Amino acid sequence: MEYIDLPIEELHQALVNRKTSPFELTKVALARAHASKENAFEIIDDEEALAYAASLVDPEEDNLLWGIPFLAKDNFSTKDLPTTASSNILASYRPVFDAAVIERLKAKKMVLIGKTTLDELAMGGTGTTGHLGITYNPYDPTHQRMVGGSSCGSAAAVASGIVPFALGSDTGDSVRKPASFAGLVGFKPTWGRISRYGLFPFAPSLDHVAYFTRDVKMAASVLEALGGRDDRDSTSSLRSVEPYCELLNKNTGVKRIAVIKEIQETIKDNDVLLHFSKAVEALRKEGYIVEEVSYPLELLQSLFPTYIVISCAEATSNDANLDGIKFGPFKGGNTYEEVMKRARSEGFSELIKRRFVIGSFALMRENQEDLFLRAQRNRAKIVSELNKIYQSYDFIMTPAAPSIAPRFEDSSDRLSNEYLIADSHLCLGNFAGLPSITLPLFLKDNLPVGINFMGRAFEEANLLALSSQFERLSGLAELSTVTRKEGYL
Amino acid sequence: MNFEAVIGLEIHVQMKTKTKMFSSAPNSFSRSPNSEVAPLDMAFPGTLPTVNKQAVINAIRVANALHMEIDRTILFDRKNYFYSDLPKGYQITQQNRPIGKNGYLVIKANGVERKIGIERIHMEEDTCKQVHYPDCSLLDYNRAGVPLVEIVSHPEMHNGTEAMKYVEGIRNIVVYSLTSDGKMEEGSLRCDVNVSIRPIGQKAFGTKVEIKNLNSLKNIESAIDYEINRQSEDILSGKPIRQETRRFDESNQKTTMMRLKTDAVDYKYFPEANITPISLSEDFIADAIATCPELYDTKLNRFIEMGLNETDASIILSDRDVASYFEKAADIAPGKEVANYLSGELSAFMNKNSLNVNTLGLDPVSLGQAINVGAKEKLTHKQIADILLRMCETGEAPEAAQKALGIVAMSTDSNEVDAAVKAVLEANPQSIVDFKAGKDRALGFLVGQVMKASHGKLNPANVSKALLSELKK
Amino acid sequence: MKEISIEVLKDAANRLLFDLSEEEYQTLYEEFMTLKEQMKKIGEIKGLENYEPMTFPFPCETTYLREDVPMEPLSQEDALKNAGSVMMGQIKLPKVVG
Repeated sequence: MEYIDLPIEELHQALVNRKTSPFELTKVALARAHASKENAFEIIDDEEALAYAASLVDPEEDNLLWGIPFLAKDNFSTKDLPTTASSNILASYRPVFDAAVIERLKAKKMVLIGKTTLDELAMGGTGTTGHLGITYNPYDPTHQRMVGGSSCGSAAAVASGIVPFALGSDTGDSVRKPASFAGLVGFKPTWGRISRYGLFPFAPSLDHVAYFTRDVKMAASVLEALGGRDDRDSTSSLRSVEPYCELLNKNTGVKRIAVIKEIQETIKDNDVLLHFSKAVEALRKEGYIVEEVSYPLELLQSLFPTYIVISCAEATSNDANLDGIKFGPFKGGNTYEEVMKRARSEGFSELIKRRFVIGSFALMRENQEDLFLRAQRNRAKIVSELNKIYQSYDFIMTPAAPSIAPRFEDSSDRLSNEYLIADSHLCLGNFAGLPSITLPLFLKDNLPVGINFMGRAFEEANLLALSSQFERLSGLAELSTVTRKEGYL
Repeated sequence: MNFEAVIGLEIHVQMKTKTKMFSSAPNSFSRSPNSEVAPLDMAFPGTLPTVNKQAVINAIRVANALHMEIDRTILFDRKNYFYSDLPKGYQITQQNRPIGKNGYLVIKANGVERKIGIERIHMEEDTCKQVHYPDCSLLDYNRAGVPLVEIVSHPEMHNGTEAMKYVEGIRNIVVYSLTSDGKMEEGSLRCDVNVSIRPIGQKAFGTKVEIKNLNSLKNIESAIDYEINRQSEDILSGKPIRQETRRFDESNQKTTMMRLKTDAVDYKYFPEANITPISLSEDFIADAIATCPELYDTKLNRFIEMGLNETDASIILSDRDVASYFEKAADIAPGKEVANYLSGELSAFMNKNSLNVNTLGLDPVSLGQAINVGAKEKLTHKQIADILLRMCETGEAPEAAQKALGIVAMSTDSNEVDAAVKAVLEANPQSIVDFKAGKDRALGFLVGQVMKASHGKLNPANVSKALLSELKK
Repeated sequence: MKEISIEVLKDAANRLLFDLSEEEYQTLYEEFMTLKEQMKKIGEIKGLENYEPMTFPFPCETTYLREDVPMEPLSQEDALKNAGSVMMGQIKLPKVVG
């Protein structure tokens, strides 16, 4: 175990007391990155990272993030560092600007050590569709199980102890589901809480900057750094950012938790149900009121197709700029159409193309009413019903996934009638833009399973306070393949 | 068979804001390609649109001048298609909720005043510039993202003149509200015309033909007139009208086919989710309107009140620089006088020397001063004109120029005048006869004779008056 | 809604400026059949027509408008450094006709 495996407060103290340094931490992180076997990296930037880390010599006592190495999913623009969204159509693209979140983390003197893999263009949930191949779950050295997606690389890297924090993005569950499979804190704040400037868009009405940490304190610190208005992102909220760290241990008096009966009934793994009910008991002991509520089953069954239609429709438009002309490999041709067609045919994987066709089809004039608009109306109903629950409860609590990380051979990216509510309910947090966090719950056969809490819009402070408390109850903060633990629940 | 033509116009106006519609890149003419580009204009992944306040203000002002209902919420949509000049693969526009709708413009064509209905005005962004060479096309993204307003009329015009007047009216509004340069020949105001014809009395519209790339008012009129004729002839000879896009061949004064219009392209419009709805307060809208620079019609009425006739006033107003120049001079000296010199001797001088009001060498304040000095000294129109022209060339002050030219006020002494008049009348008895026989030219001849005899020292107005009273005796 | 066939899907793909393999069109076709079923079920949800199509996750109207103040643009070099085909400071394409 190294300094980098410590809880953030202790790590910070070690830096302040000069027991270790950003340079030392970065060296360890880089070594672990190079030694890792999960295929989690698009690029590891040793030279820049070490040079920058070496330049950080005066610890900032009030800055918990000072000198700490981190990673970013490769759909965040990083100036002069290749950013590919794990797609061949963006091979060798070097942004000329940093994403807003990268700027803010650099301002906090964090050390970016590289970019992580994702499902191509963030459109996937298995961690298998990036152009560099499959990303594996560090909890399964036999490489049979996924770490999920689309933020697969960031999840694998934090779970294997490479860095204590990595950026991801969450459009349907792309941070909060892998967090479950990787035993991590996976946090998605309210829509608009963090600027998306520089984040490659998948579906703007559903996209969120989100991230992985090993403890809630780190998640709160990062939110303080990243949250807040950015005039370059019209959708970023003008609401002020709260002192989330300070508020973590505050007794908010906000204590009513709803559990959705119809979701629970779809969980087939009895271990998950068992540990979930232990969590319920533990929270009740702390004074929380945890009650079962109902949510229309037909809406839960409609979540996945609604999500596919809306997200693919928006994506097909957002990725229309990828044509090999302004950036990305130029493929030539006899006409401008041929130039675009060659770039897009060769650059996109087959899965992405299928998704684009679905999205485009849904937007066609003669289809919009039955597909896109219907999905948007359904979104309105889904959110309306969800908000009814929040009239009487402060949080919704669910298992973050139906079970442990699936085997690759048991999963597919094909649309089928086989999707499970248990697998897709996290997208409620994207439809409604509500803050949502996955926390490790327990381990089964050495594979993690997570729990998810979702709060009201812009009430991250309450959500993080609950999470902080839950973390103490579960005993699984700092969980990684380096610091193995047994939980309490 | 008698046909009536049905004409509708779509006008795209480039707005002269300091930045682009959705990015903070400068919106100014630069010779260096790809030097006025923000990351958004190159459609780099992850870039996001932000709405230009001045563009919104301009759009409100134009919508108001066109008597339109202004939407209190600003929403944008995406128009999706692929083309070489469209970096994002979509254009951000306002399909569903244009900022203004249901307005009109009053035009006067062929002596008749008509109200032309306007369906909508909305904001959108321009595409990048393409320069075509024999074996390649080069793209310059400076223009990508420049703010546009699109104004769509109802199909309520019936001939080329009406269309031309409509465009002129729109141009006057956008120019005088400082929204745009309105220069058709430079592309800051672009007109697409839709023309169809139908037998008089028929309710259904005929097949619509689109004419693009009309770059002058005259061409609009000519193209439409030609097209109406062409369609009539085709129908009468049994040929069906094809739905097509045509261009106007200026040298031959005909429209020619560019391409057939296939089934209307499906742009898959849907709301732009990167821009949250923007609420316009009543105060914001009222302020935008109240601070709008004085518009063409208001200026026209004001100039007419100064004593200008409508023709002179419209000539001055046809160029905003000239109008501005005129107003500065008219602040000091009587407007009618200023107009006289401006459209008379100064205009001739400018034309002869390829100058404009900015390069004339005579600032409007000095022009006004010269007129006032001249009036005080009772100089004649010609005398003042000579002084002005000298001032243009030398930059002298009015008094200095007058002195240098040796100009003195002409005598209005009635004795001198009467004496000269008597002498000339005696010398030209035939002219008296001519005048009495109704030949008015005789008076002018006689005035000239008096001026000649007195070496131009007598005031011609007084001379003329004296002659008339003598002749009438 | 348009009737779905492999031809229709091929046309849709071509309009997006790419092509798929024959097997992929088949996969896509099956996915569409599934999706169509699912969307049909959604169409049967009672009272759906009473809901307006929702774009944003929650009400988020704002009054913010960007001031019309120019910022430093990209240098020509930065604007073009990622482009694969450049000539005379512009992006070069085969001649665009029509």
